[in-house]
Amino acid sequence: MDLRQEVYTLNLGPQHPSTHGVFRVLLTLDGETVVDATSVPGYLHRGIEKIVEDRTYAQVIPYTDRLDYLAGMLMNWGYVLAVEKLAGIEVPERAEYIRVIVGELSRIASHQIAVGSMASDLGGLTGFIYNFRDREYILDLLEMLSGSRMTFSFMRIGGVASDITDEFIGKTREFIDYFPKNGIEEYNNFITGNEIFQARSKNIAVVSREKALDMSLSGPVLRASGVAHDLRKVRPYSVYPHFDFDVPVGENGDSFDRYYLHILEMEQSLRIIEQALDNLPDGPIMAKVSRNFKPPVGEAYAEVESSKGILGVYVVSDGTTKPYRVHFRRPSFINLGHFDEMIKGWKIADVIAVLASLDIVLGEVDC
Amino acid sequence: MYGKGLLKGLKVSLGWFLRKNVTENYPDEMPNLPDAFHGNPIFDYDKCIACNLCVTACPNRVITLETETVAKKKVVTAYNFNMQYCLFCGFCQEACRPGAIRFGKDFELTKYKREDIKIKFVKPEQVEKKKQEVLQAAAEKEAAQKAAEAAEKSEAKATEKPKAKAVKKPAEAGAATPNNNMEES
Repeated sequence: MDLRQEVYTLNLGPQHPSTHGVFRVLLTLDGETVVDATSVPGYLHRGIEKIVEDRTYAQVIPYTDRLDYLAGMLMNWGYVLAVEKLAGIEVPERAEYIRVIVGELSRIASHQIAVGSMASDLGGLTGFIYNFRDREYILDLLEMLSGSRMTFSFMRIGGVASDITDEFIGKTREFIDYFPKNGIEEYNNFITGNEIFQARSKNIAVVSREKALDMSLSGPVLRASGVAHDLRKVRPYSVYPHFDFDVPVGENGDSFDRYYLHILEMEQSLRIIEQALDNLPDGPIMAKVSRNFKPPVGEAYAEVESSKGILGVYVVSDGTTKPYRVHFRRPSFINLGHFDEMIKGWKIADVIAVLASLDIVLGEVDC
Repeated sequence: MYGKGLLKGLKVSLGWFLRKNVTENYPDEMPNLPDAFHGNPIFDYDKCIACNLCVTACPNRVITLETETVAKKKVVTAYNFNMQYCLFCGFCQEACRPGAIRFGKDFELTKYKREDIKIKFVKPEQVEKKKQEVLQAAAEKEAAQKAAEAAEKSEAKATEKPKAKAVKKPAEAGAATPNNNMEES
């Protein structure tokens, strides 16, 4: 007897918790296997690039927080770096060190979400909670400095908003002591070493080195495919040349590598923070920037290594107090461009795992 | 051994059963918030100098400031804070030198009615009181100035009677004193 077979389409999202926001994928399925996929982003589009054309240069900063809201500090940094490049502002060294400290803390907080959500998407919600427990330390630290838990608006054109206190330094050192033993080790015992987790993520959706480069992937997704490309090392900005740290790379480019790199990078970030605290110079935290800040006519493009990959910010100035055009090259968006390709041929349950391993934030994807 | 990883994970979980809770019993226990926290906006009417810097600093046009000029002085007649658009970035607080607008620690800002979201900080009686104060201060200043002028005139008349009608200017009189002091020292 011949059974009639046909493919069917399934809408995954936009209101699905495992799509990490309001992301929609149109899946064409043959049973449980993905035959074709079409990503439909845009449900969180707020037109930030257009909004900021009607804001002064300083007023753009709170909007950058709302791109990748899991690593707000790094988003701030990308923008202020571009404006400083445009106007040729020299940032005091102490401010640069503070930026490195808060930026790396933000990176750890963002990676904790990546690790935790990967665990929860594979059915282990407990792993998610462990990550949130430790993330709370970082949010408390950054709240002490900036007054906000996620949308910090902490960086300023020419420096940072406030100086770090002894209390902050003490608590950060406490966190550096606490985290490897109680945080990272627990994640490894709880999530990384779990056989079910490994079975669900190892050798799933392998991205080859060539393909990763072709699709201009960046961040942990690129490094998982064996490309040691980290802007902090290859095109250093700020004071990163002063620090000694490694760029971990994966071997297989599968979901597991993409996941595990986040944990390895947390360790490296801790190393950077420790060195920055040890060598923190004295001095001012703000360069002299006038209230009616008008950069010269021109354009500038600056990049930072955000937690998701390369964040590029392009700013065009027409000599007025407001930017003529601001464009954000969002790493999540570009990494997501390869998603349709990656999930072809895999089961529908793997789709969720692959998406989690890409570590996207919809605020950034849709901008 | 297959399943070793699962047992390890279970050990981690069991270990946490015996430890202290890391959660907070909100709302029975309120969180310990840092001083920098951006909660409810607080406006100090008497500190405001109506410089408009908070209005221009705000990225979302939350604040509207209305003033009235009374006796050559700006009096704030309205300071409205449209909370629904507030990003809690703290730029207004940073721009305000006298510290008139700042953020408190209250984060429970939900309201029952939509119109309550827009905060009107300035009350009419405050404006009236301020206006009266400004007018009174101006009047007092004027009176004091007149009195001073009259005193100076009479003084000048008294001291410079021999020099006929020429009235000495106060600037000259003022300039004379430090010179005298220098000569003495």
